[in-house]
Amino acid sequence: MFPQLYMVYAFIIALGSGVFGALLGLGGGVLLVPLLVFLLGVPIHLASGASIIAVVATSSAATVTYVKEGLTNIRLGMFLELATTIGAVSGAFLASLTSEWVLRVVFGISLLYATATMFLQQRRGERSRIRRRNDQLSEMLQLGGGYFDAALGVDVTYGVGRTPLTFAVSYLAGIVSGLLGIGGGGVKVPAMNLLSGVPMKAAVATSNFMVGVTAAASALVYMRNQCVNAFIAAPVVLGALIGAYAGARLTNRVRGAALKNLFIVVLTILAVRMILSGLGV
Amino acid sequence: MGAALSKILRGGVLLSAALVLLGLVLTAVTADTSSPYGSTELSWILGCDPFLAPSHVLFLGFFALVATPVVCVSASIIVFLRERDIRFTLIASLVLVILLVSFYLGIG
Repeated sequence: MFPQLYMVYAFIIALGSGVFGALLGLGGGVLLVPLLVFLLGVPIHLASGASIIAVVATSSAATVTYVKEGLTNIRLGMFLELATTIGAVSGAFLASLTSEWVLRVVFGISLLYATATMFLQQRRGERSRIRRRNDQLSEMLQLGGGYFDAALGVDVTYGVGRTPLTFAVSYLAGIVSGLLGIGGGGVKVPAMNLLSGVPMKAAVATSNFMVGVTAAASALVYMRNQCVNAFIAAPVVLGALIGAYAGARLTNRVRGAALKNLFIVVLTILAVRMILSGLGV
Repeated sequence: MGAALSKILRGGVLLSAALVLLGLVLTAVTADTSSPYGSTELSWILGCDPFLAPSHVLFLGFFALVATPVVCVSASIIVFLRERDIRFTLIASLVLVILLVSFYLGIG
């Protein structure tokens, strides 16, 4: 296959991942990496390398909007980033030492976890009771926040609870991000929302802000370890950016539930395939 | 803080997108796919390539992208300092240190 054609395919795959990622509020990385691996035969290290660069781009772009809307809790994000960035650097280093097959299995398992979370979320819904008061640590650091919810037309204020636990989980999110080349939002958002009681919109916005910083830390390690092929990463970055932009635009016009179910099925299939291929089946 | 971060992020993404686009155009035109993995040697990154090797331009784009959150964190340190928030000045500075360490580990 001519390199140029290869690049066009990578662009299209990234475009699709970007659109669906934005539509469903899940990072494109979890879809992007398996598709690059299975449709284009890209080695998983390079797929993750391309993905992590794209993740910096898409999360930075999304954060522009979220910050403008006042949803991002910069203090909370910055504090949790202490854990996440250390995790990311550890994870990225670990990735360069890990074989293709082990990474595939780990990726598949993480993907299964993500789909399970999505599935449960569909049934249980997000945490509707917003935490009012900070716990000790978050009170000391003043991590609680507030924003104006344009959809509901009210001011929402919240405190942050179980901060040490969320901090620890953020470290895990960082490792996952660095190891697999994904954003890690799938771990961060539930941690902030379900563990700490941060309202969903603020959790998503803050996660996006965090993901950019985390992915930047991972990306540098990936680049150093020769895991970023410019001619794969470049079309992927552009595709992901355009796709995410288009997906965000389409959000209001598409019904979420049916699409989400389809997404869950597709991701589960990809996850199982990842695990099986990693195990040599 | 929000306004500054928005501007930095938007600027960074646009700059890197422009560089990546330029690099891809160069790739298409020259069909030069050499050095796909580039080099994280500072001298290579900042070096002036008279013929603008496509991979060089692409990696410049990637570095611009990765530098964006770093600039964001740096800006937040300044804001926290101005707000006399010692705790968060420290926290943000620590995050910056970690980022710079990963940059250093990533360079050469």
